[in-house]
Amino acid sequence: MNLSTYKTASGFLLPSIHSAPPFFTQQPNTATQAGFTEQWTRLLLAYARHRRLFTLRLEDAEVPGGEWDEVLRNPRINRRLMPNHLAHVLDVMVSKDLAVYEPAKQMRAVLLYWRSPDEWADVLHEWATNTGQLNTILTFYEISDPPVPSALSGIPESLLRGAIAVLAKSGRAQLISISDGDGVRFFPPRTK
Amino acid sequence: MHRLGGAGLAALQRQQESLKSFDALSNQLSNAHVDNLHAQLDQFRNALTRFATHHRADIRSDPRFRHAFQQMCASIGVDPLAGPRRGGWWEEALGLGDWQSELGVQIVDVCVSTRDRNGGLIELSELVRLVSRLRGLEGGAITEEDVVRSIQALKPLGTGYEVLDFGDGGRKMVRSVPKELNEDQMVVLAIAAEQNGRVDEDFLVRRNAWTEERAKAVLSNMLLRDGTCWLDEQDGPNGMGRAYWVPAAMQWDD
Repeated sequence: MNLSTYKTASGFLLPSIHSAPPFFTQQPNTATQAGFTEQWTRLLLAYARHRRLFTLRLEDAEVPGGEWDEVLRNPRINRRLMPNHLAHVLDVMVSKDLAVYEPAKQMRAVLLYWRSPDEWADVLHEWATNTGQLNTILTFYEISDPPVPSALSGIPESLLRGAIAVLAKSGRAQLISISDGDGVRFFPPRTK
Repeated sequence: MHRLGGAGLAALQRQQESLKSFDALSNQLSNAHVDNLHAQLDQFRNALTRFATHHRADIRSDPRFRHAFQQMCASIGVDPLAGPRRGGWWEEALGLGDWQSELGVQIVDVCVSTRDRNGGLIELSELVRLVSRLRGLEGGAITEEDVVRSIQALKPLGTGYEVLDFGDGGRKMVRSVPKELNEDQMVVLAIAAEQNGRVDEDFLVRRNAWTEERAKAVLSNMLLRDGTCWLDEQDGPNGMGRAYWVPAAMQWDD
């Protein structure tokens, strides 16, 4: 039995470590576990990016049938990532700013930063520029659910707010209160 | 009575004279011998140097040629790969010391960078594969023999690099951590190598007629202290069993 990569139904290439049975068990040796956590982190973020998934819950490891099954389970070797192991990985990811607990004050669900707020800010500003929407007021809904699918389709509001805050700091956007919630206006970058 | 050179004072002088000329003659003869030897050595050296410079590229790039060359050198008692310190002119002529040091650095690189994955134990063929990948195509092919030689050259550094031979003519592993592996650990490694990396307590007990405690002790040392094996808690048909996996003995395809 060789440990090899595997292409999932959604077209994601799982690394060969994913076919190693012990990869799914939380290791008692801290150095070994640190290596495993790093590999899980990389794998989860890559898969999230591939499927454009923003949220990961402990529930995804507890109950089968969710959108994370391809990664959290390996039916070919009859292994699954145990919820307490996932909790540990998420904890490390949060401590490294690769995810945040969302909502705050609980530890069962995270928002994944497969792009950091800074990177989202750049993507957001580029989108507004390329679609000719500088200086106009946009609602959050118009950004997260645009008529033409974009890099921002489906972006959770908290991530969007974070990106806008980054842009506001450099004078490239302004948060505006409008009748049915918040909106945003983008500005061209200030020339120095 | 006839004494050597006759009797009397004149005879004594004559004897000393002849001793002196014998001395001179012997000196002359041994000088000639030494000169002759020097000349021969020079000739030998020149021939070797010419051979080495002429075939330097082949020696460095062709593993089979390198093997044959090393065999030849070993049979006449010279070590071309002894490195700059011992190699002297020989090393200068070949530049193989550099080659050897470079390979050594690459071996250390691979061993260190895979350590968190395998706890400092790696199968020799896997090491050769990863080093080859690191060297790229221009580096020329290398063999297990080259790697073993390089590891032997690393020994004086006291870094604990060692080639473990399981004596079954098959697998060899390289240990890159300065920990002694005891006999029981060697047994576990050999069994893991047969089983694609997987071992469990029951199997060790049955196979070696060990007590349960002995199997537990060696596995827990490998798992907790050395990091040379991994734990799997979802083993068996019910998915609740405990098994241990030795990454150095697992077959990685990537």
